[in-house]
Amino acid sequence: MINNNTKPEWIISSKAKNLFVSFMFIGVVAFGFTMITDSLRAWSSFLVSFFFFTSLALGGLFFVALQFLTNAGWSVNIRRYAEAMSSFLPWAFGLSIVFFLGAKNIYIWFDASNMIGDHALEGKISYLNPTSFFIRLVLFFSAWIVLQKWIMKITLADKAKDMYKKVVKPSVIFLIVFALSYSLFSVDLLMSLNPHWYSTIFGVYNFAGLFQSTLAFIILFVLYALKKSWIKGYVSENHLHDLGKLLFGFTTFWAYIAFSQFMLIWYANIPEETIYFLDRFNGEWIWVSIALLVFKFIVPFIALLPQWAKRNPSHLCAVSFLILFMQFIDVYWMVYPHYSKSVIKFSFAEVGIFLGFLGLFLYTSTKFLEKHSLIPKDDPFHDESTSHEVVY
Amino acid sequence: MMNTKNTIIQKIKTIFCKIENYIKSPTKKGTAAFWLDDHQLIKAAKEMTDSGFSGFEAVSPFPLHGIDEAMNIPRSFIPWATFFLGLTGCAFGIWFTWWVAVVDWPLNIGGKPMWSFAAFIPIIFELTILFAALGSVALMFFINGLPSVNPPILDKDITSHKFAIFIPEEEIKGRGAELEQIFNKFGAIEVKQSEF
Repeated sequence: MINNNTKPEWIISSKAKNLFVSFMFIGVVAFGFTMITDSLRAWSSFLVSFFFFTSLALGGLFFVALQFLTNAGWSVNIRRYAEAMSSFLPWAFGLSIVFFLGAKNIYIWFDASNMIGDHALEGKISYLNPTSFFIRLVLFFSAWIVLQKWIMKITLADKAKDMYKKVVKPSVIFLIVFALSYSLFSVDLLMSLNPHWYSTIFGVYNFAGLFQSTLAFIILFVLYALKKSWIKGYVSENHLHDLGKLLFGFTTFWAYIAFSQFMLIWYANIPEETIYFLDRFNGEWIWVSIALLVFKFIVPFIALLPQWAKRNPSHLCAVSFLILFMQFIDVYWMVYPHYSKSVIKFSFAEVGIFLGFLGLFLYTSTKFLEKHSLIPKDDPFHDESTSHEVVY
Repeated sequence: MMNTKNTIIQKIKTIFCKIENYIKSPTKKGTAAFWLDDHQLIKAAKEMTDSGFSGFEAVSPFPLHGIDEAMNIPRSFIPWATFFLGLTGCAFGIWFTWWVAVVDWPLNIGGKPMWSFAAFIPIIFELTILFAALGSVALMFFINGLPSVNPPILDKDITSHKFAIFIPEEEIKGRGAELEQIFNKFGAIEVKQSEF
């Protein structure tokens, strides 16, 4: 079954490298160009892409920690891709500092004088102010990066026999830290765009999107490596089937959380809360809202329902691309109504900056994959993963 | 006194016997082969399918990976039944919430429209799940002939560490010698005439 002729190694062709670098170049140009014409738009677009890719990086680390804590055997041969995604975190830290420099353009609470005089906002000044925002950003990112390095140090040292004992501690710490910090991170970055508005389920909503898109990204990595036959004999359609089941489950989870958020706000009908959905149901934004329901839940749900759908590479590839695109649209939908009320604005500024981030993300993660063997052969569960079989 | 009591007990026993015979699963005469290794059983089942035998049963204390392919069992239709039961539940939920809230007992709640779809989605969702899950379980019981009392027992160790293949008499079609050969080839520990 195992094909010994090809080594399970990721090879970045010079063409791919040039592509990533040119993406980054496009990103910088798009950002610079938009900065000159419309700085609010530039920073809004930056926020969308920054949040999207930071979530993917965190999702990768979340996946790794989860697999270690559950002592999962099946996922050992596909773990590297999730680890590679988390290697974006140090870059995200740097970009968060860049974002902080421009954040005064998009958050009205950056200037305390905007808050004074409004009773609801005055109470939030102690949390929503530039200093504590900066402290939180630095604190969250340093915690994530320290834990990422800690986990990677254990999992990449292939010879470690008691790896599964050692890795429990950082994984547990990460999951707890992640649950708290990612909620506050999404509150800081997205919810505070309208400081009046609040939703207690917002952190979970973003987590649902994070894990859904992370699984889609892992699937795409696996499919690419399979297509290049780098991991032939190690990863089969059985692994795809399990990843597909998780993707299906978290597609449903996203819809469940999104509906919970919507229904409670709709039912209570408090102006402070409904403003969020009014902004997104008025004008052209209603089409984006409907598109989210249809293409982030209904279409992937039906497309992933049959058993064959989770085992068919080209089908899974299309669904994963759709889900990743819709996750980007989801973040866009949370940010952009604050920039442009009732009119959809989507052009070079959004696509270009997204491509810039994408180039950097792919560059760092493929660099990671190139450096380390795609298959952790000394992992005690390696054989279990290689012979993994899904019956139902 | 004693006599009447005995006759009553006798009568009750006959009634129970009749019920038992009624719900007892029908058995067939045939050949049973036993293994201690489940992998050998799967190989034997594969060989049997390849040489044209069908309609035989594999008995195991736990689910065996790959036995479906080895015995050439097509995929169950239950997932489709679940899907359509779910659709039925969903349709019923939509109709029922509409009938309650609009036709039978209209109530003004917070000035919201009578037909407030968002508020009914949890109910519709729950009914979808209820119909799909309970319906599938009920259907599974029905097609498997459950609940059945007094199932035929091939061997008392079949629930702990033995694995068996049972083939009814009419499926052997006079190829008994060939069958024996397959059983022996994969190291069956025992082959006997039995009822299942």
